[in-house]
Amino acid sequence: MFNNYYIVKKEILGEYRNNTSLFIITPTMAVLVLVFPILSENRYIIDDNFFTITQLLFLIVFATLFSIRNPLSQKKLMRELNFGDIARKDFFISKTISEFVIFLPQAIILISLFSIFTNTGIQNHLIYFGISVIFFSVNSIMTNLFFQMFTSFESRFVQFILMVPILMSLSFLVAPIWLGINPNLTNIYLVMYLGITLLVFLFTNWFLQRDFK
Amino acid sequence: MSINYLSAKNLTLGYGNSIVIKNLALSLYDNKDYEVIGRNGAGKSTLLNFISNNFQGNKFDSKFEFKNLRILEISSEYTLIENLTLIENCLYLTKNSVSVDSVDKVLSDYGMNHFKEDLIQKFSSGMIKRSELAIAHLINPEILCIDEPLNYLDKDGSQLLIQLLEKRSNDTRSTILSSQESLNLFKSDYETINLNV
Repeated sequence: MFNNYYIVKKEILGEYRNNTSLFIITPTMAVLVLVFPILSENRYIIDDNFFTITQLLFLIVFATLFSIRNPLSQKKLMRELNFGDIARKDFFISKTISEFVIFLPQAIILISLFSIFTNTGIQNHLIYFGISVIFFSVNSIMTNLFFQMFTSFESRFVQFILMVPILMSLSFLVAPIWLGINPNLTNIYLVMYLGITLLVFLFTNWFLQRDFK
Repeated sequence: MSINYLSAKNLTLGYGNSIVIKNLALSLYDNKDYEVIGRNGAGKSTLLNFISNNFQGNKFDSKFEFKNLRILEISSEYTLIENLTLIENCLYLTKNSVSVDSVDKVLSDYGMNHFKEDLIQKFSSGMIKRSELAIAHLINPEILCIDEPLNYLDKDGSQLLIQLLEKRSNDTRSTILSSQESLNLFKSDYETINLNV
């Protein structure tokens, strides 16, 4: 039974008050989405294949900016968790949930805006598309939190360098689904993605349950 | 019955290759109060961080044994979350386990009730220290470590701290204070850990 709503509430309240992602990153990305087709092809319609690749690129840029928007200080986090007697595992799970709640709507807004302004669409079923975005979000959030909680890389630049290759490899599984491969292959890709998600989650849980004393 | 929650024979702590505390023998009990004294750089904060599991430096080959008790530290760097209000901090750090009424009462006792809806980022250092003391009062942990307890506190604040120490002593809860010289804040017996020697 999940009873750590107080952590989720705290994280969402903090985000609501900072508004870094909603008021800075999303509008910046929206402007990029608006000017991109004009800059690339001097019109509001771009080719389908090019569309998928650039849409993924925008998603990666957005996820990276989102990841580095508010770096956790390992030292401060340790103090906070010890002060409140909050288990690292509970914090990780609750923070993943809150980040997901904040990230997913913005990612969907961004992708929809991109589709609307480039007048192109995804070449696969909407459900497959939705599931792939959910997997991408969960994985990118978990890996980002893992880096932030267990490494002392507090510099945004280092985090950026670490996150981009990870997000690129995560997006390799999204690209074929978006490009419209047949349903059987799509299912295989989604199962592979589910496997990666479970692996990341299990590894992090194992890491969190080690004795830190 | 008292619990020996930390025992170490040759505790050596430092950062990187530099040693701050060398071969310290330590045995801490949950029903005793302690005062850690030492000059600047003697390792008071390092020791308190270690006791409260907030230490992130090098433990070298120290051999020690910990028993799992609730240890809370009020250090010179504040722990409260800046973009939450005081009442939100209280509820978050107590894991929503206390009622709003009891939080209100304690905040009122500590003279912070008028500021409960204000964000911590607007607080002065003294207000933050009072708020942390109020939260420590609410949580009432088995062990409470306070680094430089009188820093930032005015006369009333110091009085509140003394009352908190007295209450904890009556509840047979242990408190560890650290300062450059003895502050004589405890009303009952306490043990001194001198890091100057």
